[in-house]
Amino acid sequence: MRRRTAALALGTAAAMVLTGCSTMSPGESGTVTLNMVESLTNPARTDLLEELIADFEKQNPKIKVKLVSPPTEQADQKLQQMLQSGSGVDVLEVRDITVGPWSNNGWLYDMKKDLTGWKGWDALTDNAVAASEDDKGRTYFVPYGFYGLSLFHRTDLIKDAGFDKPPATWEELLEQASKIHDPSSRRYGYAFRGGPNAHSNATAAIEAYVADRIDPANGYLLKDGKTIFSAPEALDAMEMYLKLFKQASPKSSVAWGYPEMVEGFSNGSTAFLLQDPEVIATVSESKSIDADQWSTAPLVAGPSGKTVQPLATAGWGVAEGSKHKAEAVKLVEFLSEGEASTRFSKGNSLVPILKAAAEDEFYRTGPWASYVTMTENPDTFLVVTQPRGVAWWTEWQQRADTDVQKMVLGKLTPKELLAGWDAYWTEKWKK
Amino acid sequence: MIGKETTAGRAAKFTFLGLWLVFALFPLYWITVTSLKDPGDIFSFPIAYWPERFSLENYQGLFGKADFGTYLVNSLVVSTVAGAVATAISTLSAYVLARFEFRSKSALLMAFLVTQMIPSFIALGPLYLLMTDLQLVDNRLGLMLVYIAVCIPFCTVMLRGFFENVPDALEEAAMIDGLSRLGALLRVLLPVMRPGIVAAFIFNFVNCWNELFLSVTLMNSDENKTVPTALNGFISSFNIDWGSMSAAAVLTILPTMVLFAFASRHIVQGLTAGAVKG
Amino acid sequence: MSGTSTPPSGVTAAPSVRKEGAPPRGGGAGGRRRREFTTRRGLVIAAFMAPAAVFVALFTYYPMIAGSQMAFRNWNLTDLTDTSWVGLKNFREVFTDPAWGTVLGNTALWVVGSIVPQLVIGFALALWLRRRFRLRGLYQALIFFPWAISGFLIGILFRWMFNSEFGVVNDLLQKAGLIDEPVAWLADPDTAMTAVLIANVWYGVTFFAIMILAALQSIPDELYEAAALDGAGKARTLFRITIPYIRVTLVLTVLLRVIWIFNFPDLIFGMTGGGPNDETHIVTTWMIKITQQGDYGKASALGLLVVAVLLVFAMFFLTATRERGGGRRGAGKGGKRGVRA
Repeated sequence: MRRRTAALALGTAAAMVLTGCSTMSPGESGTVTLNMVESLTNPARTDLLEELIADFEKQNPKIKVKLVSPPTEQADQKLQQMLQSGSGVDVLEVRDITVGPWSNNGWLYDMKKDLTGWKGWDALTDNAVAASEDDKGRTYFVPYGFYGLSLFHRTDLIKDAGFDKPPATWEELLEQASKIHDPSSRRYGYAFRGGPNAHSNATAAIEAYVADRIDPANGYLLKDGKTIFSAPEALDAMEMYLKLFKQASPKSSVAWGYPEMVEGFSNGSTAFLLQDPEVIATVSESKSIDADQWSTAPLVAGPSGKTVQPLATAGWGVAEGSKHKAEAVKLVEFLSEGEASTRFSKGNSLVPILKAAAEDEFYRTGPWASYVTMTENPDTFLVVTQPRGVAWWTEWQQRADTDVQKMVLGKLTPKELLAGWDAYWTEKWKK
Repeated sequence: MIGKETTAGRAAKFTFLGLWLVFALFPLYWITVTSLKDPGDIFSFPIAYWPERFSLENYQGLFGKADFGTYLVNSLVVSTVAGAVATAISTLSAYVLARFEFRSKSALLMAFLVTQMIPSFIALGPLYLLMTDLQLVDNRLGLMLVYIAVCIPFCTVMLRGFFENVPDALEEAAMIDGLSRLGALLRVLLPVMRPGIVAAFIFNFVNCWNELFLSVTLMNSDENKTVPTALNGFISSFNIDWGSMSAAAVLTILPTMVLFAFASRHIVQGLTAGAVKG
Repeated sequence: MSGTSTPPSGVTAAPSVRKEGAPPRGGGAGGRRRREFTTRRGLVIAAFMAPAAVFVALFTYYPMIAGSQMAFRNWNLTDLTDTSWVGLKNFREVFTDPAWGTVLGNTALWVVGSIVPQLVIGFALALWLRRRFRLRGLYQALIFFPWAISGFLIGILFRWMFNSEFGVVNDLLQKAGLIDEPVAWLADPDTAMTAVLIANVWYGVTFFAIMILAALQSIPDELYEAAALDGAGKARTLFRITIPYIRVTLVLTVLLRVIWIFNFPDLIFGMTGGGPNDETHIVTTWMIKITQQGDYGKASALGLLVVAVLLVFAMFFLTATRERGGGRRGAGKGGKRGVRA
């Protein structure tokens, strides 16, 4: 009896192993299979990409695309492993912060030649064209959209607190958020970013305060060549920013990163949130707040009434190790033009790369209106290039995030923080 | 301890046991309750200790949004096979280590022990390259092979303890009766050691079932993902969807819990068999 | 490699120990039989050991050794154009990193602060579970559950419960009148460390309870009866009989747990990610953070340091066991023996 049970178990095991084996299916003759890896993964976006890929496959019956969607937290690391191994990836998501190191390591393919004469170029906005070339004129990725900050706010709470419109400046934001803030009833003013990427919102505040003097070609420099962190206005900005944490933010936000901030707003507990447009989609699905309870406003300004829009971007590129570069470029082209691009930027609430979007009704209504306002007023909402491509960007991020946390935990004064940042960038750029 | 229990002693004992039971089960209760709440109620205040409106929406969402069924099947297949094969292989090595004396024995035992000390992150990169060369990336067989290797050292040491408590007269008699050594092991020793082997398999299974980093590294496509990887995806993607996440957590814990519920007696029994005897 | 959940080897390693003291066998056996054994012995050993050895060598040791060389090279994913050998530079970088002190302190706190409560509570549970009572089987099954859950998932579970705004922990404490306003548990390094320790104790007690219970059940009742006849009190029985009897199990379990807990970044990573302000990092979570920055050289150096530190623990482990082997226990082992050459 027992032996039979054992034999049965072994048989089952063997069968299961064979099932495991069968996933290695040989390629059908003549068809090319592309592996496409995304990095800023989320389930809804993955579904959308699958749909777009299906369209692409219909147009190109000889090309099959296999989408790989690692969890966001591990994605870039996994991509690095794949790129290093030189196989398993043809098309991939490249971000402005990864393009520098990855191209430097020889992992990315320069699509410049392949894309000469591509009809899609004319349809792209100036920002998109600029972003698809690095400083040496090489094209390692074509952006699929832009991320930029706007102020998500709760219209109902603002009204209840006695204000008639959302804040336009950081000072107003501080005032309104502090008034709304009431921890005892689980009501918070501002979704502070204290965890991963804490520095990004902190520098956004600094840039707004020095907007009059900022170097448009380098968001961390003033026109006179000193860093923005050395400016006296920067200290005002950081002191205001620290108050925003102390007077208007939940205590736990010292550790908040992207997911916690978005959750804090979409679960209805927090009144203000500075985030990318992609959050519109998430908040719209919220079960805790209704569409008439929230909206977005343009990014808040500094004392001069101007602000700096820190544009971030990501796009699709091709791996140097790919054996099917022509087909891979074809897929990148497909995703970067026409219907596919429009659907992708709408579905993920991205600032679009196509000029035609400006006329699109979709971007003129509801939460999107603030983005149009920002694009249409480049004098007030300055578009400034951030030095996100430098090799030491990751190092900087980690260091700066820790400093912001130290500041809100009271272990570093705003003055010390700024002195440290000034010294860091001055040193880096001296080399 | 074995002496008479006073009433006060009994009261203290059961109070302690009761408190611990509450503490041990409360987190599981809480995640279950959260998963059964209506998504809109999860962040309502005051906090509800029992769902005001029962809802399976979180679970439905899970199977709709992501292919959770596939992940469950993958985890089940990989953990079962890897756990079983690792147990089988370890039985052989444990037998040798229990019954023979040879020069490299302590070195082998040490080598097994050292595997436990290696932080997995040091090896992930080279392992990925190795698996690429073997064409076993994004392949359930590949993941199984790695899991088997992960399970073997402990499983061996554990089973070795059990073998040592079975008198070798048993298989010697069988071998005199004409059975080969392997035959004696399979037909005579294994039946005696069943509780220990069941316990060893359960440890392997749970180990594989819960493994995250190797799975994230080695599996690419959605149809090959295991449950922990999927779960990790839920958190890191856009918002912390506590509703879906709780539902996913409950589904993840359930199979191992069922296993434990059925096997807890085996575990203690099995371990007792391998434990220090006077 | 694993570090997630943990098979018990503490107890099982114990018998091998006593073997050292067990009377060597085979000396009296007939010469012919022994020679037969010698010819086939090597083959049997090789054949039975081969599968395990191949698996472990290929999938554990090869990647580990390949990974260790990065510790002595300039190996940063942000710039792989220069991967020259740099000697001990990466180790120096670890030692001079400002976070190193905090990380070491946290690791010690993490290991000791987890082990001690786990051991004490686990011991108590085992003592009280030794005697049969109604529904004991069910009780055992229920309190085993935490152990079936992955460290990563436990991190999530407790992160949700310790959530300062909507977490159940704050709510319960407020209801009990112990706190006036919600505590931001995971936002303050001190309370965050407490929270991760609570979670780890919750998870790890089970392991000790199982191991100790198994060992306790192997203590012959006669010993207790004799003690009772001598009029020994409870405390005396505990310290004179129970603890000495299961000492090997205790020592080994504790030492093995040290290795696992040391190598258990999952829970902290799931709960705090090492934050806030990098103040809840232990060595292994810090290593993950460094890998994420792309500095594989420094991370590998750290990994080798972990192995080195744990090896020292293992030496202690082996020494401790050897001592026992020569002790009183060895005499009682006539029944079992190994085939000796």
